[in-house]
Amino acid sequence: MPTDNKRVRRPEVSQSPSVFACRPAAVLPAAGPRADGRRRDQVDVRPVFVRCGLVSQAKGSAYIEAGNSKLMCCVYGPRETDRKDETDMKCGRLITDMRFAPFSCPERGSWIQGSEEKDLSLMLQESLRPAVCLHRYPRSQVEVNVMVLENSGSVLSHAITCASLALADAGIEMYDLVLGCSIRQDGASYMVDPTYLEENGCSSGSEDNQGRLTVAFLPSLNQISGLQSDGEMAEETLTAGVRTCIEGCYKLYPVIQQALAKATRKAAPPPSES
Amino acid sequence: MAAGFKTAEPLEYHRSFLKENCRPDGRELAEFRTTTLNIGSISTADGSALVKVGNTTVICGIKAELTNPTVEAPSKGYIVPNVDLPPLCSSRFRPGPPGEQAQAASQFIADVIESSDVIQTEDLCIERGKLCWVLYCDIMCLDYDGNLLDACIIALLAALKNTQLPEVTIKPEACTPEVNLEKRNGLLIHKHPVGTSFCVFDNSILIVDPTAEEEGLSSAHFTVVTDEGDRLCSVHKPGGTALSGEKLQECISRATARQREIQKLIDKVIQSVKAAE
Amino acid sequence: MSPMKLCVPGDKLCSTEDCIPGTGVYLRHGYIYSSLAGYVLRKNEGEELPVISVVRETETQLLPDVGAIVTCKVTSINPRFAKVHILYVGSTPLKDRFRGTIRKEDVRATEKDKVETYKSFRPGDIVLAKVISLGDVQSNYLLTTAENELGVVVAHSEAGAQMVPISWCEMQCPRTHAKEFRKVARVQPEYLQA
Repeated sequence: MPTDNKRVRRPEVSQSPSVFACRPAAVLPAAGPRADGRRRDQVDVRPVFVRCGLVSQAKGSAYIEAGNSKLMCCVYGPRETDRKDETDMKCGRLITDMRFAPFSCPERGSWIQGSEEKDLSLMLQESLRPAVCLHRYPRSQVEVNVMVLENSGSVLSHAITCASLALADAGIEMYDLVLGCSIRQDGASYMVDPTYLEENGCSSGSEDNQGRLTVAFLPSLNQISGLQSDGEMAEETLTAGVRTCIEGCYKLYPVIQQALAKATRKAAPPPSES
Repeated sequence: MAAGFKTAEPLEYHRSFLKENCRPDGRELAEFRTTTLNIGSISTADGSALVKVGNTTVICGIKAELTNPTVEAPSKGYIVPNVDLPPLCSSRFRPGPPGEQAQAASQFIADVIESSDVIQTEDLCIERGKLCWVLYCDIMCLDYDGNLLDACIIALLAALKNTQLPEVTIKPEACTPEVNLEKRNGLLIHKHPVGTSFCVFDNSILIVDPTAEEEGLSSAHFTVVTDEGDRLCSVHKPGGTALSGEKLQECISRATARQREIQKLIDKVIQSVKAAE
Repeated sequence: MSPMKLCVPGDKLCSTEDCIPGTGVYLRHGYIYSSLAGYVLRKNEGEELPVISVVRETETQLLPDVGAIVTCKVTSINPRFAKVHILYVGSTPLKDRFRGTIRKEDVRATEKDKVETYKSFRPGDIVLAKVISLGDVQSNYLLTTAENELGVVVAHSEAGAQMVPISWCEMQCPRTHAKEFRKVARVQPEYLQA
């Protein structure tokens, strides 16, 4: 194993105490109410707490808390592009970086960005790009950094919402806000905005239609900008799932609008009408 | 005019304030920014704390894992601190492996832990030569506006005080540990080290708790760490202009006063967290 | 006066039949939508329809554009060009530094072939310039100072004192009375605050 001489020395191997726990791993119940009291098969998103403009150094920033999931996003730029090629002359670049804090998951994460984080960063970029007026920022790049402080499920969908808030807070021109919502399909029933356990727990129920779905949605333009599904689902289940996610996004929309309006008012009083 | 002057001639701009014994943000030279503390907000960590010193925001999350002690020190556990300065916290940091400043900060925190005896690594041993705890103390900056080290030490200390380790028993017949995640015990905190950072302007003017801008313009900066017994745990002065002995003495007495304020703050927040439970 | 309306990106503001789109808005299917989180501003500018814009605090103009007057700081010089950091666009400070280049032939309008960059700028000078091009793949923003109002506005002498302009091509140190060459700007009152 190559030694990491840029960090304080650590033991070569260590194991999470949960490996030795005497308690068996929790199994997702196949029916009945969910652990946090929400109902299955209902568009029951967790109430979100959102704030804009918390980070003094960033152009724009946002914090979102849904249940125990806590995410923060900062936007920097538009700044000069590091590497230039022909397309950058007409159109700006959107750069996304999503990371998990090492202490954010039940098992400790690594210091180095893993492939899951890279996948999420890419998905985040693809979901946001259709909404950003990049042609207004030639020769420049807009950087979006998301940090997951605590992962209690549905982090990608909340990262999308949080990032679009931070972009709007930074005054980056956008066609629309982007809202994210995800579901966990468990046999015939589904759970909206799943928690970490609901996302990853294996089900005791049927084998068919097991999967996850995340939708990024532009609420005012009524368009889907990003869709990610994994697992196995029948076509009808998937289309119904997309519809459910859109419904979930509309539930978030007023909260996000209000938070943004509040931040805008706080940042500057209305200009005089002259 | 003021904004233009500030961008074009930042050093002159700061000097014009220092001449009047005040600073651009309205503070006096020896005044700290408001420090706030939030303990135990991350439920996935075994202990956590979020500290704000003015705009500077630092979060520390502690995760405990099980490992084997080294042959040289069979009765000692590990504490592995890591300071991360992600590109999120300021436009000056780039993604990728830790930069110079992050490396220096991690090493400084490791030195403070060792020299101050905040935790004795013997306490982390479960069975001599066989099993011990390793505490991964990940300190992450979320908003970088100067005085990183002070904020890191406060976050670390508060998170350590919040840490609850699950109970471990070793079955003698199977030689495997058994962990009871429901039953948890706090750590024994031996000392309460608190840091105070200073910046030097023009070889003579000392300011406390510098912002990122002040740090960039000053000719030297240094950090004094003391504990509740007024003992000096660490004095860290990476280069810069020289400093007289009297000035240093002045700084140390300022640091001991700060240590009391911060320890009181941590105790108060821990009390309120306990009361809420 | 009613409180000004706030909007967020994607809000439908009005039809193109009612207003002319200004800044911070975009057109789609005959309607005007907001592209910023800010205040809705309607302005009558003598035309038939009012101009509708969405405005935020100060950061309306985020990037240097062709024709914009910028304030920059000289970072390095060589015989062919001077490199600068753009600090301000108009009177709006930029949060991130953008680099620009003033080529030798763009320093002044007359006797272009006799220009010597080190007699025009020194590193650390504050210069007013105009953007002439966004540059290509290799180069940065191209700037010019070939107007009377453009050029050095603040400069320090070798002794470290701030110099006073004495002609369009010379500045003097108040401490040592030494004269140094610069392409001096005739500062217009409207730029004095920047």
